[in-house]
Amino acid sequence: MVRVITVKYPLKEAKAPEEYRGIPYIDPQRCIGCGACRNACPPNAITREIDLEKGIKRIVLDVGRCIRCGRCEEVCPSGAIKLTNVFEAASRQRENHVEIVELKLLRCSRCGKYTEFTERQVMLALEILPREVLEVEALDKRIWLCRDCRRETALSDAVDKEWKWYYGKLVKSIWE
Amino acid sequence: MVSSLKAYGSKRGHKLKSVRVFHVNSGACNGCDIELLDILTPFYDIERLGVKLVSTPRHAHALLVTGPLTRKTASAVVRAYEAMPPEPRIVIAVGTCACSGGIFYDSYALYRRIGGSMFDVPRRGGISELIPVHIYIPGCPPRPEEIIYGISLLLELVNERVSKQYYKEESLEDYKLTRRKSPISERLKYSLREKTRHIVGYFDRDRVLEKFLEIVQMAEKSENPRKRLSELIDEYCAKEEDSRVRECLKILERDYWRLKNALLSREEVIYWI
Repeated sequence: MVRVITVKYPLKEAKAPEEYRGIPYIDPQRCIGCGACRNACPPNAITREIDLEKGIKRIVLDVGRCIRCGRCEEVCPSGAIKLTNVFEAASRQRENHVEIVELKLLRCSRCGKYTEFTERQVMLALEILPREVLEVEALDKRIWLCRDCRRETALSDAVDKEWKWYYGKLVKSIWE
Repeated sequence: MVSSLKAYGSKRGHKLKSVRVFHVNSGACNGCDIELLDILTPFYDIERLGVKLVSTPRHAHALLVTGPLTRKTASAVVRAYEAMPPEPRIVIAVGTCACSGGIFYDSYALYRRIGGSMFDVPRRGGISELIPVHIYIPGCPPRPEEIIYGISLLLELVNERVSKQYYKEESLEDYKLTRRKSPISERLKYSLREKTRHIVGYFDRDRVLEKFLEIVQMAEKSENPRKRLSELIDEYCAKEEDSRVRECLKILERDYWRLKNALLSREEVIYWI
């Protein structure tokens, strides 16, 4: 008796095992645009573009450059990027391998400029930071600001009005 | 690139059926070559699709190129390409390296055209720096099914499944919907998540942590959660076959109370994040 062992693959569907590391996919609903995957990616298949004028951040994934090491999945804080067990990625055009996730940047509530981080990043940070330990008032006040404004407000809050007056007087006396 | 292939089919009034393939290694690590060997075995048997490996490019319709195209091999690839009959001259790039340079994308030893950046979208590099490519088969290495899929794409047996994805955020609502309320505070959850990764690795991380959170949720409802949690975990471990998961759940239980007590008493602790 002859037993046929040849697979009927292209004519019949085949499925990779569940733990197979196939092409990665970014879930756009869960991605926060932090760029941790970009830092971890050895062949730079993932890049991050920040457009401060338009207020847009793009995470660009190119499956054609990906070596399926799974390090992006390991570092992703929100579980957005996952290696699926889909393997049928062959294509006639390289453009078909690209996935782009475009997210909005946060607008600083004090100076009105765009910051380098997204609104989603701030949302996640607010969830993670332990409110029992930190100063909640200062956190809520400054987390919506850009980096420069944070520095300025922190300084102006720390230096009391009285101190400012004394310091000004001191400087004046030295100058004179 | 694609047009020459279509022209070939229409001239003869039929589509491409039987392809003779010549295999060129342009500096690959032999991963892709081993997978190419696999598709010739009786299990995958590429010859049932009419594809045959030939020993000289003069007999070949298609060039099956693996590797990131090093400078040493560039001249050999060009010679193999020019030795092919002028029609149809198909080039199939097998593997991530051949598609875009892969892990070797910024190596000094690679052949590349002047100008542009290696971060352009889609990424530059690989075989398409030198010769036009008809089919790209990414993968590192691609499994035999992937190569068979790519070749049957050339033979028009299957349709393309990947396409360019572009997502634009409109409001924060999309994101808020995905945030599920977890039974413990997010800070604790992320610390435990990192701990779980250290023990069972990234693949099983979410599955094990979800199981643990389920048990915690059940335990927190009772009057003495500390006692109830250890009871429930013992109960679950008696059934669980995987020793890694058993070990992990016990470590997680210990860590959960350590972190929770520290957070409640506002002490400084070492988080795993």
